[in-house]
Amino acid sequence: MTKKHEALLTGYFGAEQESFYRLAYSYLKNREEALDAVQTAVCRAWERQDHLREPEAVRSWFYRILINVCTDLLRQRKRVTYVPLEDLDTGGYEDPPPADESLAARVDALPMEISTVIRLRFYEELSLKEISAVTGAPLSTVKTRLYTGLKKLRVSLEGVYDT
Amino acid sequence: MKEFEKLKREYQETPIPPELNDRVQAGIRQGKRRRGVRLLRRTAGAAAACLVMTVCVLNLSAPVAAAAADLPVLGGLFQVLTVREYDTTQDGIQYDVSAPGIAADSDLAQQVNQEIQERVDALTARAQQDWEDYKEAFFATGGTQEQWGERQMDVIVDYEIKSQTDTTLSFTVDFGEGWVSASLERYCYNLDLAEGRDITLQDVLGENWVERCNTAVQDYISHSTGEDGSTYFFPQESGGFTTVDEDTAFYLRSDGVPVLVFPEYSIAAGAAGIVEIPVEEA
Repeated sequence: MTKKHEALLTGYFGAEQESFYRLAYSYLKNREEALDAVQTAVCRAWERQDHLREPEAVRSWFYRILINVCTDLLRQRKRVTYVPLEDLDTGGYEDPPPADESLAARVDALPMEISTVIRLRFYEELSLKEISAVTGAPLSTVKTRLYTGLKKLRVSLEGVYDT
Repeated sequence: MKEFEKLKREYQETPIPPELNDRVQAGIRQGKRRRGVRLLRRTAGAAAACLVMTVCVLNLSAPVAAAAADLPVLGGLFQVLTVREYDTTQDGIQYDVSAPGIAADSDLAQQVNQEIQERVDALTARAQQDWEDYKEAFFATGGTQEQWGERQMDVIVDYEIKSQTDTTLSFTVDFGEGWVSASLERYCYNLDLAEGRDITLQDVLGENWVERCNTAVQDYISHSTGEDGSTYFFPQESGGFTTVDEDTAFYLRSDGVPVLVFPEYSIAAGAAGIVEIPVEEA
């Protein structure tokens, strides 16, 4: 029982570590901090492997740990400002889009809950159900955040609700 | 859609540092060590629970007590018992505490019991304070209840009896706090309950104990240095090992060999954890 996930985790960490780094880097924008985040998340996951109940859910389980580590690091930097969801200006057509900024910069400027959904959906191609498992938010909330985020980014996409 | 494809391409092209795999492997090693502590604690906890049961029986029944006195484990001048044990979660802190106490008619034993109890109390108070500070900072910087979610801190106290005879006892007590980072402190107790005093390295190794210990440590360091000169140990000129002294912690292995115990970060990088070095016969 104590060793049941060791082979699974070793294989998963070996195969997917580049994705971990990319995701961590997309939050932290700093090479050393992203490496630290990956190492810490791997350590924590290994230590708490008994909490992984369904081996097939290893990705959403690990991403949850990794994203918690990244957001903790961001908080320690205190550069993050949180905007409550209800205060968000979802924008209207009359507002000019921030033309001088790349889409990537606009994703980073989104509130954390929302940018997390955008990153996981489009960068890492997780299903909305998986995103719900990673973030601990209900599926309906994930959908709302995705929709809000896209509106905010002035991007419309087909097929974003595919789960 | 085009914009998003470009975004995704940029994301996929994030340069991957060459040391990534080393860091992942280091994370696994770290996780293994910390997991080891947890599992050890669980095993010791179960064994200790049995001990506590046994003691209750001893107190209740004179015939059973008389019979038990013939058992070597419970004979001698003393018994080591788990005096405080709880495995509980409260306000987001998970306590896995199994603290030892020595049941013996001895001032030294009482003194040690009190010291252990004070350390458990101090650790608990410090952990609660750290946790409160962290929580406050988390919400002050805009964290939500949902994000806080499953965050948890671990407080671990566990002990291990290294060796014992009819009159002497050597054991270690680990105190750990784990959350964003983890730290583990190990205290060593070597008691001569017949004479009512601590056993010293000099008692075990004789007059030239300093020299013997230093040789053992230096041998250990040079053996753990890779061919390329890489090692976890700090060089002597930048805070590395210089010499043992009266304060150097140790315990006695069951074969009587003293094992030196160096705290995390004291003579080697944190990745090496607590370093234990036996001083074998030359």
